[in-house]
Amino acid sequence: MSPGRKISDRKIDLAWLLLVLLSLGGAGIGRADANAVLVATGVALVMALKLHLVCTVFLELHAAHPRIRGAVRLFCHGMTALVILTTAFGDTLSRLTGALIG
Amino acid sequence: MTLAVPLPLDAPGPAPTAAPAGRIPGSKAMWVGIFCEITEFALLFAVFFVARAHHPEAFRAGPAQLSLLAGTGYTLMLLTSGWCVARALHAMRRGERAACLRWMAAGFVFGLGYPAIKVFELQRNFALGLDGSGGVFIVSYYYLTFTHLVHVFWGLLGMLWVIARTGFGAYTRDEHSGLEAFACYWHVTDMIWLMIFPLFYLLG
Repeated sequence: MSPGRKISDRKIDLAWLLLVLLSLGGAGIGRADANAVLVATGVALVMALKLHLVCTVFLELHAAHPRIRGAVRLFCHGMTALVILTTAFGDTLSRLTGALIG
Repeated sequence: MTLAVPLPLDAPGPAPTAAPAGRIPGSKAMWVGIFCEITEFALLFAVFFVARAHHPEAFRAGPAQLSLLAGTGYTLMLLTSGWCVARALHAMRRGERAACLRWMAAGFVFGLGYPAIKVFELQRNFALGLDGSGGVFIVSYYYLTFTHLVHVFWGLLGMLWVIARTGFGAYTRDEHSGLEAFACYWHVTDMIWLMIFPLFYLLG
């Protein structure tokens, strides 16, 4: 993503349309009757794509100060990773936090 | 010497210029607020993940208790409102104040759709007995979604303020940092909903 790149109205409209379609499609993935980790991965990827669109096209993060860009991206990518990891390793997380909580 | 010629309302201006790279969009103060919001939700999400790890059955069964239609409705309302705000900002960058005002008004109407759906969803939930005593999933759900609702309310109030200032001509093609700061807040609030939605309505 080159910094300072112009975003046209058409691109904003297309991003919105894509976000709507992903929201409708993503709802179907989430309620699918399949392996939990697989479903979580599908849902997390759709979420990541939607967050990327909002960050890039609506929030214009590519033009923002690198620290702002880095912090917001860390939050978005971190959440995506956590959705998958906490589904795959829920038992481990439970054991670790159980030991901390007591 | 320069001649400052006021632009008539909706005078066609050049295409929006690219924002200079590495700048702070809107204002520093707004970004302090946004990072406070992000920190608050990061902590709430951490609590959610720990609670889910300790009560996997409750969280697996949770989403089926909630209305997917309502969850999707919130998402569509916030995304559409965010789209209108993005278009409003671009209109202002071209100096099209009337168009900016129309897009902002549309953004406000779609934004109001969020609390409107919330009223219907709460009525449904309470009718099904899904209140504060409904177990760990429902408690986490209310805690996170009500916190988000508070942020949406601040956003709607901020939007009214920005609409009023736009109407009174406070923003111009060259100086509209207040409008941009609000847009940043609204998009981040929207972004946080995009994280909440799958956690409660899809995954559990």
